Amino acid sequence: MTAIPTLLVIILASFFLMRLAPGGPFDGERPLPPETQAALQAAYGLDKPLWEQAWLYVSRLVQGDFGPSLVYRDFTVSELVAQGLPISLTLGGLAILLALLMGISGGLYAAARAGKTADKTIMTLATIATALPTFVTGPALALCFGLWWGLLPVSGTGEGWSWLIMPVVALALPVSGAVAKLTRAGLATVLKQDHIRTARARGLSETTIMFKHGLRPALVPVASYLGPAAAGLLTGAVVVETVFGLPGLGRYFVQGALNRDYPLVLGVVTLYAALIILFNLFADLIYGWLDPRMRDE
Amino acid sequence: MSVYEIRDMAIQIDGKRLVEDVNITVEPGKCTAIIGASGSGKSLTCLTPFGLTPGTASGSIKLDGIELASANAREMHLARSRYTGFVFQQPLTALTPHLTIGKQLQEATSQAGPQRLSRQELALMLERVGLSRADERLDQFPHRLSGGERQRVMIAAAIAHQPKLLIADEPTSALDASLRGEIMALLDGLRVEHGLATLLVSHDIASVENHSDDLIVMDQGRVIESGPTVDIITNPQRDYTKRLIAATPRLTEPAPVLPVVGDILMEAEDTTVLFPRPGWRQGKIEAVADASLSVREGEAVAIVGGSGSGKSTLGRAVAGIGPLTSGTIKWQAELLPERRERSLAMRKLIQPVFQDPVASLNPRWKVGDIVLEPLRNLSPELSSPERNNKLAQALDDVGLGPEYIDRVSTSLSGGQAQRVAIARAIIAGPKMLVLDEATSALDPLVGGAILQLLAELQRAHRLSIIFITHDIASARRLCHRIVVLDAGHVVEMGAMAEVVENPKASVTKLLIEASKR
Repeated sequence: MTAIPTLLVIILASFFLMRLAPGGPFDGERPLPPETQAALQAAYGLDKPLWEQAWLYVSRLVQGDFGPSLVYRDFTVSELVAQGLPISLTLGGLAILLALLMGISGGLYAAARAGKTADKTIMTLATIATALPTFVTGPALALCFGLWWGLLPVSGTGEGWSWLIMPVVALALPVSGAVAKLTRAGLATVLKQDHIRTARARGLSETTIMFKHGLRPALVPVASYLGPAAAGLLTGAVVVETVFGLPGLGRYFVQGALNRDYPLVLGVVTLYAALIILFNLFADLIYGWLDPRMRDE
Repeated sequence: MSVYEIRDMAIQIDGKRLVEDVNITVEPGKCTAIIGASGSGKSLTCLTPFGLTPGTASGSIKLDGIELASANAREMHLARSRYTGFVFQQPLTALTPHLTIGKQLQEATSQAGPQRLSRQELALMLERVGLSRADERLDQFPHRLSGGERQRVMIAAAIAHQPKLLIADEPTSALDASLRGEIMALLDGLRVEHGLATLLVSHDIASVENHSDDLIVMDQGRVIESGPTVDIITNPQRDYTKRLIAATPRLTEPAPVLPVVGDILMEAEDTTVLFPRPGWRQGKIEAVADASLSVREGEAVAIVGGSGSGKSTLGRAVAGIGPLTSGTIKWQAELLPERRERSLAMRKLIQPVFQDPVASLNPRWKVGDIVLEPLRNLSPELSSPERNNKLAQALDDVGLGPEYIDRVSTSLSGGQAQRVAIARAIIAGPKMLVLDEATSALDPLVGGAILQLLAELQRAHRLSIIFITHDIASARRLCHRIVVLDAGHVVEMGAMAEVVENPKASVTKLLIEASKR
């Protein structure tokens, strides 16, 4: 219910914040003659009062028109986004899957061996994975697997899918660490609960108890982390895409901001915000599946 | 031939011997009950042999030929999945929240072998334990069912694989008083029908005396008395057992002599409390509707009803600690305003005591600070020595020595904590106490002592009391009059003796029946 107003607030805030920054889209190294400047400003409607521009932008957006790019003059924002989005979505989607896979299985294994060496090792690794930023892990991976051992392509999209491995891993590592910790902590709480004793009293094996009776309620904290994590993966992708030279949305986002390409930045922000809101809605649905009690609240 | 036989069992946790010298025999179709206060080791005794506690059991524990004390993993699996069914105390948490009733029943059925039952057969199992609309329940998640319904599901699951032994650990303690009888009757019926050997654990002697063949009384990890239930109840040998039997309030005991009452102190008229419905739904819930009651000086009035009847809400509204939507509350014919507008002198008049003594004391505070808090707020004019005198007096009144002043509240037992809560309530010199299920969470011995203490305070300070409870037998030990609430409405009101003798409303009859157990 709150998704549309939230989106609107984000768009308007970004719109005015960007205009607060000095400079404009047509300030090059060689200043244009004032008449040309004025003509360009008028052509893109930048000479109108700020409120009117905001209103025009939002009303066009509602009709699905993201406007023209002010720097890549021959392209509309929609065309640029259509080029970058598939790469960013593939990257982010695979990274989330990998993070969940590594994190949940790591957390499960650690919880099953609570207090033992395996548990401590996994939790230490999880802490390290969470703490290392992608601009460190990305180049480190590229150095090892790309330059020294020559196993994987260092940059660009190339043939097949091997170019995806390193960016996805770099992107997934911090999230997988957090997911492992949350899973482990969730299981530690759930495995002490009464219904686990009931399951044990039925003579079920510890593995069955863990997967059938323990895991789902234990993943509730992971689900609440998933929304913000998705945001992290999308914005974190800016760094990873730059490091691995991938033509995803992140590149347009950064360059758009530096060039004061207002419609391009706003378009990407809108898209990011919509995706993040979508992920949060998705997480709410997952809650209900993990713990049916939440459906009634 | 006994199904389950324990000889000279001891239980250790982290090297500490918590239970010793336990001997128990359970025969097919018979019920053996273990009775004891909390901490007596009764739950450890029944769950540890099956590896369901952190403890380890030694001695001889024979379950249909399997020696549980030295069982390997395969034997333990067999003992749990084939031979034994368990019913636990907390039906609200004992079922897995994300699996439907049907799935959990299916799992319970197949624990003894890979058989799958049809939907009709599963529904039939639920009908057999007295659940209506059985087919619909199979697709429901546990949280949609009430406590009593969930306990029925637990029982159905516990016997689904046709075990030889049923272990029921406080199966009715967490349930509404009026449901307890029904659940016990269900267990009795199933035991006879299936020839189940039953081991029943309870802290409440009255709740098992009509449902067990043999009784084992435990205290501090030891069996202090055992034998046929009838013999122990009619002719207890040990002092502890005698006290345990005497502490449990019964409607058959002679009526107590209550103090003389004075003039009307408090009058509540047409008290109504509405709550907004949760979530997006429109409308209000009527928790209390047009309830009127009066309390005289030195008089104790019981407000009784099942859970959800509005008895606590009414008590809180009267005491000025809960919401009041409409109605008037008068104190000696003078109108008491809404809770936030009451002056210090008005707040001093009525003080509350709550159900869970440990939860109602700040865990970080010392006893002295807890008891003094009302005095600091309500009588700021007192000097420090005057305050300390009152503190010592209040603790003395509730039977606690000055050594308790520096104790942290978390180090207290349930009974001690409830005494501290009562000291906190009386220190500012109130005229009336509102006691919300003040003895319900306590062991019978401790609860009995608290009732005794309240009767003494009532006499010594000429205190008026509103005693909120579901247990008419407890209320009868203290109260002159009784007000019965059902769904927010007063359905019956009168002198205690008359109402108990000749109840009119069906709810009253049900609650009296529940008090007889």
